[in-house]
Amino acid sequence: MIESTQSPPEAGRRRPSATGPQPRPPRPAILIRAAQALRRVEVWLPAVVALALAAGAWQWYAIDHKYVIPQLQQIFGQLWDRPDFYWRNMLVTLRESVVGAGCGVGAAFLLAVIMTHVRVVERALMPLAIIVNVTPVIAVAPGLVVAFGFGLTPKYIITAVIVFFPFLINALVGLRSVDRMTLAVFRTLHASTLEILWRLRLPSSVPFLFAAARICLPLSVIGAVAAEFVAAGEARGLGTVIATSASTSDLRTIYASVFTLSLLGLVLSALVVLLERCVMAWHGSTNRPH
Amino acid sequence: MFTRGKGTGWPERSPAFPAAATGADIVCVDHVSKAFGTGQTRRIALDDVSLSVQRGTFVTLIGPSGCGKSTLLRIVAGLLDADSGDVSVLGATAAQATAAKSIGFVPQTPALLPWRTVLDNVRLPMQVNRKANDNGVRSPRDPAEVLEQFGLGRVLRARPAELSGGMQQRVAIARAFAFDPAILLMDEPFSALDELTRERQRYELLQVWQSNRKTVLFVTHSVAEAVALSDVVAVMSSRPGRIRALVPVDLPRPRTAYTETTEAFHRIVQSIRDELRAAWQDGDD
Repeated sequence: MIESTQSPPEAGRRRPSATGPQPRPPRPAILIRAAQALRRVEVWLPAVVALALAAGAWQWYAIDHKYVIPQLQQIFGQLWDRPDFYWRNMLVTLRESVVGAGCGVGAAFLLAVIMTHVRVVERALMPLAIIVNVTPVIAVAPGLVVAFGFGLTPKYIITAVIVFFPFLINALVGLRSVDRMTLAVFRTLHASTLEILWRLRLPSSVPFLFAAARICLPLSVIGAVAAEFVAAGEARGLGTVIATSASTSDLRTIYASVFTLSLLGLVLSALVVLLERCVMAWHGSTNRPH
Repeated sequence: MFTRGKGTGWPERSPAFPAAATGADIVCVDHVSKAFGTGQTRRIALDDVSLSVQRGTFVTLIGPSGCGKSTLLRIVAGLLDADSGDVSVLGATAAQATAAKSIGFVPQTPALLPWRTVLDNVRLPMQVNRKANDNGVRSPRDPAEVLEQFGLGRVLRARPAELSGGMQQRVAIARAFAFDPAILLMDEPFSALDELTRERQRYELLQVWQSNRKTVLFVTHSVAEAVALSDVVAVMSSRPGRIRALVPVDLPRPRTAYTETTEAFHRIVQSIRDELRAAWQDGDD
């Protein structure tokens, strides 16, 4: 019994380091890792150099082609001069993508749970879901505007539809990726379908749900912006701002909006990654689908 | 109670052991057959197999790969249905036995829930199918105490991923012990471990089992493991899977690693090897 005399932290060291972040404690571990990464120049320097080169190339091109792209200081000047304008419109786009994606993800997850247990539902609805997926949602947008007007509803629908299929597929795989042996243990205990779902399938699917969320969040912003292009909304939003600025050839406003959207995407992705790290630390599983 | 093959209906070597249902039988497998696939790919996994396991005994199924020993265990566990024949566990069907939580199943891999601590993993059996919790027969033990007994008292709050393979497998066995099922079914629980760890696990299991004699049906392909642990070793032959012989292991208990050095131990190991070799030759033609 030499093994068992070891204390847990020592035992923890046996984990191969290639499996990602150390499991516990979650948050300090992330911060420590970030601090360690910052101290190592070779980790962040390449990215900084590449970013600087890209900015330099942009600037070099913009000086001679002011009708193609504005210079960087003009873009940032826009943001500096009218921060609340961009903030307000960003919030509209954010709301559209979050509410829409929330509805789409919720519906997809519910359907995945049903499909996991009732094979007939999967056989019946999967072809339909595939048809919806291969149909360019943007093509439906004008029709939705005719039906629901220039309010938020058509934007919610478009973002919901755009995230629905990727999330459905990931959730289905996740709910089915249950360890066979563990399932056998549950069966020999005569655990009910609901108990297996709650205590085994749902927790097992968590890594897959995060992988899906990473795909779906940027998609939802694309959906919201595209919907605003088609139906310049009463509430505006960055897509609307871009569309109206394009009609007056206001390149600075366009690129200031684009920059704000990039920032929004970065923050959303970072939030998902942070949440994922915390939850996966709780999850304790090294079985990650990506 | 089983008294090592002397006058209790356990014939020394009998391929067709009669599955006489006596009161002491926990598991009674009666002329069970099972085939997989159809047509050209049809393979008979089990052919007319009968076996009984008496209360408080440790019975091991051993045989070459594909002899259907795991299939037989899974039928007893209610995870598979037999094509023909009857299986009774505590006088009921396998399905009724699982509904009453009478079966503790230990699979080949630890099959622990990675998001639960060691302690919470061992608590799991009492948390599902709760209506079978108070059947009056079972007296579940304190999970922490059982883990302590398995030498895991210091890692109660650890996650499975933080433990070695051997420790994880002990947690899986503790999980099956703790809710006090009438029978433990173990499907090659040590097969994923390295040889040295495996030998140590064997005696850790024996130590716990000797202080709490549960009925065990155990599957392995290690002869030494089978002899060290068991009261009876059922040697199976493959294609089709049959029970070829029942070898009683009349070594005194408690057994320790020292038992493996005795002459009696080696004699029994040799007799099982002979049976396996004969089974191998039968399977070839």
